[in-house]
Amino acid sequence: MEQFMLIFHGGSGPDTFPSAEAMQSHMGKWFAWVEKLKKSGQYVSGEPLLPGGKLVTGPNSVTDGPYTEGKEVVGGYFVIKAKDFDEAVAITKKDFPDFSFGGTIQIRQVMQTEM
Amino acid sequence: MQIDPPDKLSHLVDHLFRHESGKMVSVLTKMLGFKNLDIAHDIVQDTLLKAMSVWGYGKIPDNPPAWLYTVAKNKAIDFLRSQKSRREVNESECEEHLRVSFSEDLFLDSEIQDSQLRMIFACCHPSIPADSQIALSLKTLCGLSVQEISRAFLTSEDTIAKRIYRAKEKIIQEKIDLEVPSGSILPVRLEIVLHVLYLMFNEGYNSSGPDELIRKDVCAEAMRLCPLLTLHPLTNHPSVNALLALMCFQASRFESRVNEKGNIITLRHQDRSTWNKSLIHQGNEYLDRGTENESITVYHIEAAIAGLHAASPSFDLTDWKSVYHLYEALYAMKPTPIVALNKAIASSYAISCQSALELLLQIKGLENHHLYHAALGEVHLSLGKKDDAKGHFERAINLTSSPMEQSLLTDKLMKCLG
Repeated sequence: MEQFMLIFHGGSGPDTFPSAEAMQSHMGKWFAWVEKLKKSGQYVSGEPLLPGGKLVTGPNSVTDGPYTEGKEVVGGYFVIKAKDFDEAVAITKKDFPDFSFGGTIQIRQVMQTEM
Repeated sequence: MQIDPPDKLSHLVDHLFRHESGKMVSVLTKMLGFKNLDIAHDIVQDTLLKAMSVWGYGKIPDNPPAWLYTVAKNKAIDFLRSQKSRREVNESECEEHLRVSFSEDLFLDSEIQDSQLRMIFACCHPSIPADSQIALSLKTLCGLSVQEISRAFLTSEDTIAKRIYRAKEKIIQEKIDLEVPSGSILPVRLEIVLHVLYLMFNEGYNSSGPDELIRKDVCAEAMRLCPLLTLHPLTNHPSVNALLALMCFQASRFESRVNEKGNIITLRHQDRSTWNKSLIHQGNEYLDRGTENESITVYHIEAAIAGLHAASPSFDLTDWKSVYHLYEALYAMKPTPIVALNKAIASSYAISCQSALELLLQIKGLENHHLYHAALGEVHLSLGKKDDAKGHFERAINLTSSPMEQSLLTDKLMKCLG
């Protein structure tokens, strides 16, 4: 089994939802996805991230960013187990709740120490 | 690492976000003042967004409401601090706010109830127009969004937003306080609150829009707001109990009024075994509590009528004589053409179709109402006057825009052709 990091761009949905009800239902979709991955033993870890951040480019160079706004913002990540890239892609294709809000996912394979 | 049991999501109550949002807006508005109602809404929105992100990652807290309250409280304190630094409020006022806001009691059940009770009287202030009172109550107290309210009331989001805006404007202009009125003003103000809840429920119950779910939610919200009044000794008036009884009886038939195809099933043809027994039982209990003293309101009479229908084993075995007499009593208190229409319909079963026809023809002001022509069609049909009946059913079909009602009326029209 390989490990993959799913990096979610575009935050979790828009800043404003049409209703509290819609927010609860959107939260439910994320929760159900996590539960599904836990059940199949594929979920390793994951955290939501606050917007904003710091970019350190040298001992004397710290700026705000990167990607503090818009679609580039990283809203959170999962680390999951999958056989290969195809399986990791399939996992996101079916269940990622933010596609409808223009959210995107970057998938990166974790380099294993033992080859 | 905390492992959540797989069924934790199902433990999250339906409408949790919506209902907690209503509670938090009330509490925060009491804390921040009415001029900051929009801020309270923003804080709640931010709180729910945070919950959405964190909980969605599989981290639902053991006590979700308490989690929300803590986050909302901290955001409110941040807001007050920022106000203080901008010197928009005087220092002592701000310190007082902070002291209160830091108190552990801010989101005690009693405090939530008190805030909501004050809020309901503010939303239903007599200087706010009725349609704005309903919209503001649903948004502020029930956590419904402008979009949801507009779907329930078959109107545009723009219209609902304007109604809410006008209500908020009035509250600021008239410097309406978040308080429970007392003394001789209380009965008058309570009457307005009850009327708003009555209209809110009826809007959800009677409008025939395609979005059944949201209209049912509006009814449920009206029923959820009533206990705010019954739970407080000052406002636990018999009329509140009578109104709640009426809502319970009506709601008991909610699921039975429409078939799977979305067609209306009239009272006569409803499967009475599907009526919600527990709601009927609650209705009876509230009506008992509402009749502990002598005062009789329109809600008592309407509840008694609805209770007679609920208690009857079939349409034909309904105690139509009592129903008719109750409508007579109701008409004496509330002489509207719609009550007269219902009285006439009851008389067709209690007395005769001829008497119903005479009563119907006396009614003025419903010439362009589809229900009036539907009733006239029905009575003419029963009297064997198919041609007259046909004309009225056709008129009724033209007067309603609801496809569900049109289909029901077309069925009736067919009977005139046979």
